[in-house]
Amino acid sequence: MFARPLRVFAAALLLALVVALIGLPASAAPDLPALTGRVVDNAHILSATKRADLEGKLADLEAKSGIQLVVATVPSIGGQAIEPYANALFRAWRLGEAKNNNGVLFLVAPNQHRMRIEVGYGLEGTLTDATSKLIIANAVAPRFKAGDFDGGVGRAVDDIITVLTTDSANWRKSPDLRGHQGSSKGILPPFFVFLIVLAPIVVIVTVFAVLFIVAWRRGGLGSGWVVSTGAGGGFRSSRESSSGDSGGFSGGGGSSGGGGASGDW
Amino acid sequence: MSTIVSRLRAIAFAVAAGLVVASCGFNTIPTLEETAKAQWAEVENQYQRRADLIPNLVETVQGYAKQEKDVLTAVTEARAKATSIHVDAADLTDPEKVKQMQDAQNTLSGALGRLLSVSENYPELKSNQNFLALQAQLEGTENRIAVARKDYIGAVQAYNIELRTFPGVIWASTFFRGAKPMAEFTATQGAEATPKVKF
Repeated sequence: MFARPLRVFAAALLLALVVALIGLPASAAPDLPALTGRVVDNAHILSATKRADLEGKLADLEAKSGIQLVVATVPSIGGQAIEPYANALFRAWRLGEAKNNNGVLFLVAPNQHRMRIEVGYGLEGTLTDATSKLIIANAVAPRFKAGDFDGGVGRAVDDIITVLTTDSANWRKSPDLRGHQGSSKGILPPFFVFLIVLAPIVVIVTVFAVLFIVAWRRGGLGSGWVVSTGAGGGFRSSRESSSGDSGGFSGGGGSSGGGGASGDW
Repeated sequence: MSTIVSRLRAIAFAVAAGLVVASCGFNTIPTLEETAKAQWAEVENQYQRRADLIPNLVETVQGYAKQEKDVLTAVTEARAKATSIHVDAADLTDPEKVKQMQDAQNTLSGALGRLLSVSENYPELKSNQNFLALQAQLEGTENRIAVARKDYIGAVQAYNIELRTFPGVIWASTFFRGAKPMAEFTATQGAEATPKVKF
């Protein structure tokens, strides 16, 4: 007796889902490089030995403190200022742990003669704007000016690590102070929005599956049910494939609000 | 047996109905509204951070460039005006109030820009460590303001679009009649940039 209205309802629900999914705006893919490792040398200014050396240091830093420091060199920053580019890149790569927002990005644009240290929310209190500026102006810029990119990037990484790890009492505390704010204030990344949209759907499908079993036990099984549960399986697998970006190094879900400093040479 | 099944079915229906309502965007409007308000708090927070840096900056510049009285006074006055205007999250639907606040902050940006470009004429000031640190902090704060504004604009757009599109428009016209579009910033980022001064 319930089967018919239910079937109509399920069909309407399916239609609504299809409409909603088609209506989802395809997230605009800005022209950002891929996060291929802890050192993304797309401008090819670092030697192979230096790159290996840096990757070791950066992996060590994350193992000890959970901080994700990434070095990126890019041939172009898309004609904009380095600040919005660095922020967009930081957020796209989601550096640092999601809860602590403890990521740092050192970005070098050799063709524009610009560089930036972009600091995640959680490290703003330790690696301050003034400190970042000092590292850029005193340690890095003179070496870059002399064409010594290996030396400049090496010093930047060494200095940043020193600042972040010397006063451990400080950096252990500060991520927590900003952590909650940062995670609740940041705009949800597209993947989470997707999950939020998806979660009720999955639950609904589960509820329908329960109803289906109840109905099936009573012998009132219609063909419409099969369609509805089949669609549920499809959605679930699409979620799995979109999260299947593991393998190698990836960001931990952290964000940045534009802390840090920029400089030129 | 059959009463248990029918009772189970009733519960399942209630749960399903609740979920259907939730998945049809009933929660979206309040969620987006709160997100936009939180982003606004971050904008205010960063403007406040900038205002907090200014007394120290003015004092440092004064030590080296007392004769630049006009510029220093302009910054202090602009700061006083800017910090006196606050826009509560509840007033975000009033474009006039948002504009007032924005104008005051823009005036302060201009005054600060003049102060920094005047500072270029004082080599001793320019090499003062305290001044350099303040300058770096100020730059950092301007950048945070830019990021916070961008995030706020994004959050407001998402909220305003939800109010006007399906299925949000259904809820906006029934359960959330009080939900009004929020004001965006009207000026472009260019207006925030420090103006060049001609002597």
